[in-house]
Amino acid sequence: MASEITRVESADWRINRRFYLKFLEGLADTQIGPLYVGVWGIFALVFFAITVFVILFGYLQQVGYNPILFVREFPVLSVEPPPPSYGLKLAPLAEGGYWQIATFFLTLSIVFWLIRIWSRAIANRLRPTVPIVFSAAIFLYAAIYIIHPISMGAWNEAPGHGLRAQLVWANAFSIKYGNFYYNPFHMVSIFGLLGSCLLLAMHGATILAVTRLNAHREIDEAENSTEGTHRAQLLWRWVMGFNATATSIHTWAIAIAVVSMVAGALGVIFSGPVEPDWFQWACRAGIVPGVIQPGTTNVAACLR
Amino acid sequence: MSTQPMEDTPKGAIAVYDEKQAGILRLEAFGLVAVSIVVLGLVVFAFLLTKGLASTYTYRGEHTYNYAGIQMTDINAYIQAKKVQVQPVSAEALTAYNAWATANPKTVNVQVLNQYLGDDYNNTGTVFNYMINYFSGGLGVSCEYCHNLQNFAAYELPQKTTAKNMLVMQFEVNNKWINNVPRPQGQPLYQIQCATCHVGAPKNWNKALKASNPAAFGIEGGGLPVSYDMLDEQLLKTRPDPQTGDVNYYKVTATKDTPAGLNATYRNQNQMYHQTVALGVGCDFCHYGGYFASYYVENGSFKWPKSQARHMIGMVQDLAINWWPQVQFPAPETVAQPNCYMCHRGYVVPPGASNTAPQPAQVSSPLIKPLEELPIPKPVTP
Repeated sequence: MASEITRVESADWRINRRFYLKFLEGLADTQIGPLYVGVWGIFALVFFAITVFVILFGYLQQVGYNPILFVREFPVLSVEPPPPSYGLKLAPLAEGGYWQIATFFLTLSIVFWLIRIWSRAIANRLRPTVPIVFSAAIFLYAAIYIIHPISMGAWNEAPGHGLRAQLVWANAFSIKYGNFYYNPFHMVSIFGLLGSCLLLAMHGATILAVTRLNAHREIDEAENSTEGTHRAQLLWRWVMGFNATATSIHTWAIAIAVVSMVAGALGVIFSGPVEPDWFQWACRAGIVPGVIQPGTTNVAACLR
Repeated sequence: MSTQPMEDTPKGAIAVYDEKQAGILRLEAFGLVAVSIVVLGLVVFAFLLTKGLASTYTYRGEHTYNYAGIQMTDINAYIQAKKVQVQPVSAEALTAYNAWATANPKTVNVQVLNQYLGDDYNNTGTVFNYMINYFSGGLGVSCEYCHNLQNFAAYELPQKTTAKNMLVMQFEVNNKWINNVPRPQGQPLYQIQCATCHVGAPKNWNKALKASNPAAFGIEGGGLPVSYDMLDEQLLKTRPDPQTGDVNYYKVTATKDTPAGLNATYRNQNQMYHQTVALGVGCDFCHYGGYFASYYVENGSFKWPKSQARHMIGMVQDLAINWWPQVQFPAPETVAQPNCYMCHRGYVVPPGASNTAPQPAQVSSPLIKPLEELPIPKPVTP
């Protein structure tokens, strides 16, 4: 580690590889770069480039290599997984093989990116919370593209690569498994998604509100809270009865975001092997406003 | 940005703004109001702009969204709206008919109408009225399109043979499928007639039309290779269960035994999109939105349209398997598959359906028999 820092400090030409965007003043740090390349970053980029190439090549094939059609039809073009008859086997290129190749390289590029983030966090002597939370998002990706298809025995259960393909998959997945709104894990995931939005808005607004009291430097405030932090905490105690601290608010943020992703992943994984029809589950759980015949426990009467 | 508390902050004040901050706040408030007005104006403008398109946009069109099964537009209004070029019966044809009728008050070589509609159709005049109303009116053609004007009884033109076969098909399909549509008490019963499918044109259902109107023909993806026709191999092979009479054209909602894969669901969705376009309705016309597999909604009422649609899919299957191969189309390679839009044309009740057409009798030995006796699925009723 020490020698690595020494190399960085002596390599001025790399440190000077940066530029500034004036228009970002007031919005963000105007400095862009230096960007760390690294082995894992190179692998991630190369594998991602292969993924993009395979997908775009598939799109071009579908439009007969016509660039006008490519642009016009781009939102509806897709590279689809193999049909159910191939199960988990390798399929011919024209029948889902391209999808398998693209997904393989995409998965690896995501994993390499995770390792890159991890290595940079360690190199900067940070706790690895960023890569850990990123793993939750990768868990959701893996649940949709890898775990669920393997558990069901067919790559066809995964979405295709394309804008419309993603939407069509979400719709079809929900229809097949009996209306995903009745999946309790989906309910929790939505809570996490909307809760994250709410929490981010609350936190962002609060920090901006305390800037005039010079309390927006969060790390300083976490160590030694001043008037601005106290006033912000008072605001939330008045509004909703309790408040977070400068540190705990970020724990809240991580927790709700991770809940969203992990619950979503579990909802996808459990669809099929555990519960094939979430609406029927909701009938049994008694949360469906169905037509229940008085005095009966027959769940079939919930909705025929 | 001010980083020091205001020296002249009033006692007890939580927030005090200097002039610059107050000015920014006023500007932001003004901007918010201005943007809201502009956005609202754009929405109103867009609404006014697209209002004229409502009549041509039949998806979820209120003029077709009726559960009572009442015909919302008739064939003449539809033909006018679509600007179909209808050829009137020519004076030459009428003159030739008058001469023929005078010479032959009783029909010569009528093979179908008298079988299905009774002995009245042994009279030339009765047959002529039927021809004018249903054939000429429904196809928008004059008599010479099918007939030799010197000999109305002859089968010289192939169109006449095709028309005869189609007449048998029409009566057989009415008897087998239309008269057995599951429907609530009080809902009118319509009959298929020539106009139901032809809609004022002799050749109206072809692959050229299919290329220009993919949604109506059940193709998704705008003509791209990812496409489905309504009657694929799977649907053509599906038959009702011989024991229970149940049929499941599309196995969509999963059970523990459902095979893996989403292709069946994608395929079903394309069929559903076709049906929304074909009938000009939304999904909840047939379905309970909370659970598509159900025939009931949460207040206990029964979804008759879903049961009717299921029955109708069987009818389209029958058309494709039994009748299309036998009607002897003049150019069979140009004819598209039958589907929902062929008759419904964006309406719940097809514009060409009739509740005044004469009801055919059951004929024990029709001129054309089905290639395969397809069983009618057991109807789903409350």
